[in-house]
Order: sequence, then structure tokens, then C-alpha cells
Amino acid sequence: MKREALAFERPQELYASRPPEMRGEGRDDVRLLVSLPGGQTHARFLDLPKFLEPGDLLVVNESATLPAALEASGRLGPFLLDLCTRFHDGLWLAEPRWDTARQGPLPLREGETVRVGETRVRFLAPFPGIPRLWFVSSDRPLSAEVAARGRAIRYGYVTEPFPMDVYQTLFSQVPGSAEMPSAARPITNRVREALERRGVRFASVMLHTGVSSLEIEASEVGAQALYPEPFAVPQATARLVAETREAGGGAIAVGTTVVRALESAWTGAGLRAAGGFTRVFVHPGTGVHAVDGLLTGLHDPVTSHLAMLCALAGRELVFDAYREAIEKRYLWHEFGDSHLILPHGARPAEAS
Amino acid sequence: MIEPVRVAPRAAVALVTGASRGLGRTLAGFLAGQGYAIIATARGEADLSSVAREIQARGGTCEAIAGDVSDEAHRARLLEAARRLGGLHLLINNASDLGPTPLPSLSALPPDALRKVMEVNLVAPLSLLQETLPLLEASGGTVVNISSDAAVGGYPGWGAYGASKAALDLLSKTLAEELRGRRVAVVSVDPGDMRTKMHQDAYPGQDISDRPLPDVTLPFFAWLFAQDAMRATGRRFQAQSSVWEVAA
Repeated sequence: MKREALAFERPQELYASRPPEMRGEGRDDVRLLVSLPGGQTHARFLDLPKFLEPGDLLVVNESATLPAALEASGRLGPFLLDLCTRFHDGLWLAEPRWDTARQGPLPLREGETVRVGETRVRFLAPFPGIPRLWFVSSDRPLSAEVAARGRAIRYGYVTEPFPMDVYQTLFSQVPGSAEMPSAARPITNRVREALERRGVRFASVMLHTGVSSLEIEASEVGAQALYPEPFAVPQATARLVAETREAGGGAIAVGTTVVRALESAWTGAGLRAAGGFTRVFVHPGTGVHAVDGLLTGLHDPVTSHLAMLCALAGRELVFDAYREAIEKRYLWHEFGDSHLILPHGARPAEAS
Repeated sequence: MIEPVRVAPRAAVALVTGASRGLGRTLAGFLAGQGYAIIATARGEADLSSVAREIQARGGTCEAIAGDVSDEAHRARLLEAARRLGGLHLLINNASDLGPTPLPSLSALPPDALRKVMEVNLVAPLSLLQETLPLLEASGGTVVNISSDAAVGGYPGWGAYGASKAALDLLSKTLAEELRGRRVAVVSVDPGDMRTKMHQDAYPGQDISDRPLPDVTLPFFAWLFAQDAMRATGRRFQAQSSVWEVAA
């Protein structure tokens, strides 16, 4: 797939700048675009159970969001250091930015040190193929700075800071994500109960997300470098996915992070328990093997996440969905609307 | 729920062979930035001193000792340097001999060329490990033997080099078992194709600019050195593979 195939235009007023519980009734008060093989259906998030069948499995990400944005100062003056991925507590991958609205790259030098709170942070080397990200080492554990003065990572379209609980989901258990795995954000207790009444089961994986979905720069999508993320697929989840599919149900990933984790545990013949760091990039050249559907948000043009959607559902269905989403003014990003993609259909769509 | 802190111990010492260019140079700089004191060795004195200068200019510690790892007297100097710096936590056996270039087929390989490749790629790493073992044991250290996909490939022309790396892989695996009780970890790492002088020597006159630079392996090594080494010991890793795992 060529980079250009993932491009589309979308007006900026469709960026959700505040959480839905501050715009409307609650977290689950968002719209739900449902993409089925026959086309698009428009619903509310509370309708989610209607599109799933008894015996289906929703696989969620139990990673919780860290307050990973830190203020740094040094030769270049004050800037933001968004922590991306922890290797150990003295070695992280991080994204230096001028501020929430202005990304880098900053003209940093290899070996340069800056201050973050009480900690001295050294820029070791840029990440291979992604020059805006740096390996940084520190003379004290950076988790102490995160705990003491970190804030949620945000970008220009989110114009005010929100408390950390805005960035956790019902399933957040293990702190480690730089950004919220946001697909599960609208799943409130009442949505979960309705899903359980419907006979839908839950399983979890862990994948600590790094900083935001990468804009693909390589002309051939599959050639884009991605950074690795820590993940774990427990034995119980691998087994539940297999049982669900054997019984004719669908394994539906809640979020692109879950697709990445499950595809990383795919052996070619089935799922195994797995854990470590994954560099797996799911794009149309690789296909999707471990999941049957995806509940997600709306993604930016020319990103690795959008390539994953095309791998799952084909470019035509995805771009048809995005045309309708723009026309009907769905909202983008972590506080925006939801998108359920069931490329194999099979679920009767009784839209309300 | 934050996992236990694991920061490179202050004054941890890493010995990197073949450190004047390519992967060895990249690793030496990366480890120095994390606070390791580096003992860098390679045959090329000029390139090696520039590595040391570069590390020192960034506030790091690097002792450059030029010489051939298959020379016992040279290895004694490396051991002496480690003792002087306070021990050894990490031994990276990266120096390798490709053999004659252009790469001859095995049917035309002079036996002495094979012996030389084995001396540098197989015997020298084991000798270094044997000689530094007391220091590695004292620190609970890790040995990284740099392998190659030629170890399993059967690629025409790569027979001598590939055989030496296949044998090195088996040494690594055996040593891991033999040294498990002494808390010394031994792993084997295939870094994958990279744009290095060695790779260019293997393909004289060919354009290898599509291969990634050695820094492509840094994410892997950052991950590897953050693991509990005793859970990684005995494993053979591919630095450019899609998933990196240790035993649960």
C-alpha cells in the first residue's frame, strides 16, 4: 500500500477538544458508526450490544495511562518531554516537543543533558527512523518525576488540562501507557452490564501505548519504522479467543492496541500466551489474523492506525466509513465518537 | 504498580570488542550514555581513538585499547583495564572476521583462512569469557555474543563466517547452562542485515544503501539490557524481529 492511499481531508472543527461527559450526558454519550460489509449504520454508543451476538468476546487493554508529560529545561529553554516507552526506569523513549501544540524535532544534540524536576536527563540517540523520538537516560528514576509532577499528554486540539481520571477507562489496571488506550473510554458500567446481559464476554490483554499514532513518512506503508511497545497476552485470553472463534463467535478488539497485542501473539495457526516488546506493524501487507472486528475511535490521515483498519476491513469499507463520518460530523480523537468495524458482518444490524 | 527500579549501576563496566566501527561503535556510545564505563577494543587504532574521544566529549568514560582479540597478550591488557575500572558487568563479543573477500565458496576456501575466522569469531570470544569470568561472576554479569543469520543460512560464500557463528551460537547456549548456577548470563544476538563496512566487504561494489544503519538495533539492546538477564540467558535473539520475549 502506498502512503497516499491513506490520505483524506477532514475539517479541524471535527476534533473533540473536551471529554463527552463535559460536552453532554456522560462518557457513553457518543455516537457509534458501525461498518458492516453492506455499508455504514449510524447509532449511539449505548446501542453497542445490538450489534454484537451472544458468545462474542470483547478484548480490552488493561493498561492504565501515566501522567507522562514532563516539563524540561535546558540549553533550548523550557520544553515538554512526553515520555513514550519505558525500557527501565533510567532509560525511556521520549518525545521532546516545544509545547502541546508545537511538535519537534527540537535541535537537540546527542549527549546533551536537561533538567526535569530533580532529575538530570540525557539525550542518548534519536530513535532509528523516527527522529522526533529520543532515547533518554536519567540519573534518578523518571517514574518519580512522573508521580511528582507529570500531567496527561495532550496536543493542541485539547486546549485545557484535565485530571488523570479522565484518561483512565473501566479496564485500566496496570499503569504504563503514555496515552490513553481510548477505545474503551465510552464503556461505562451500564454499557458493560448491557453487554453482559446480551451474552458478550470480556477478556484482557496489556499493551502500554506510546505517544500518538505515527504519521507514515515512508512512501511504501510497510516500510515505515514503528517503535516497540510492551505487551502481554495471558494464556486465559489466548484460550478465550480460540474458544470464541471455534464456537462461531467473533473476537472483537477494543482498540488498535489490542489488535497489535493479539497479532503479536499469533503463531500462524493460533494464539499463544506471549509477552515482551512488540514491533509488529499491522497493515494491508500483513493482514489481520487474530481478531474478527474492532471497536475504535476515528483516526488521523496517513497513520499506522489507519493502515491497520485497512488491513482489517479493506480500504474501501474504511474510506466509505470515513466519508460518512465527515459528512455526518462525527468527532475525532480520544474524546470523540466511536467506530465499530465488523468486516465479516454476520451480526444482524438492527440499528435504532 | 510501578515495577522495581532497574537503573544501570554506577560504574558498571562494559567491554565491547570490534568497537571502532559499525555495530560495536554504536553500542559503545549508547552504553556510555547510560553510564557504563566502556573498554573499547578493535584493531584499527585511529578509528578506535575517535570512538573514545567522542564518548569522552559527552562526559562518558572510555578506555580505548587497540589490538587483536585473538592475541592473548592483548586480551590480558583488556582484563587489566577491567580490573582497573572496578570489574566487568557486560562483555560484548562483537569483533568478527569475515574471511577472504570477495567471499570464496567453501570448495575454494584456504584452510588457513578458515582457521583464522574460527580463531577470531569462536576461540577469542570463549577465551575472553574464560579470562573475565571471575569478574563477570562477581558482578552477576552478562555476555552478549554477536551472531548472524549466516549461522543458519547456508548462504554461498558465507560458509566460513556462518560456521563460526553457528558454533558460537552453540557455545553461547552451552555456556548459559554451565554458568546458570554462577549467575552469569550468556545470550546470542543476530543483529540482522546492517549497512556496515563488513557488509560492504561481503558485497564489494554493490549498493547496500537499502540496509539500515547499526542504530536500527538500539531499541532491541535497550530492551535486552532492561531484562532480568537470568531470564534471557541461553536465548538467541534477532534484534530486528517483530517480537522480543524472555521466559515468563
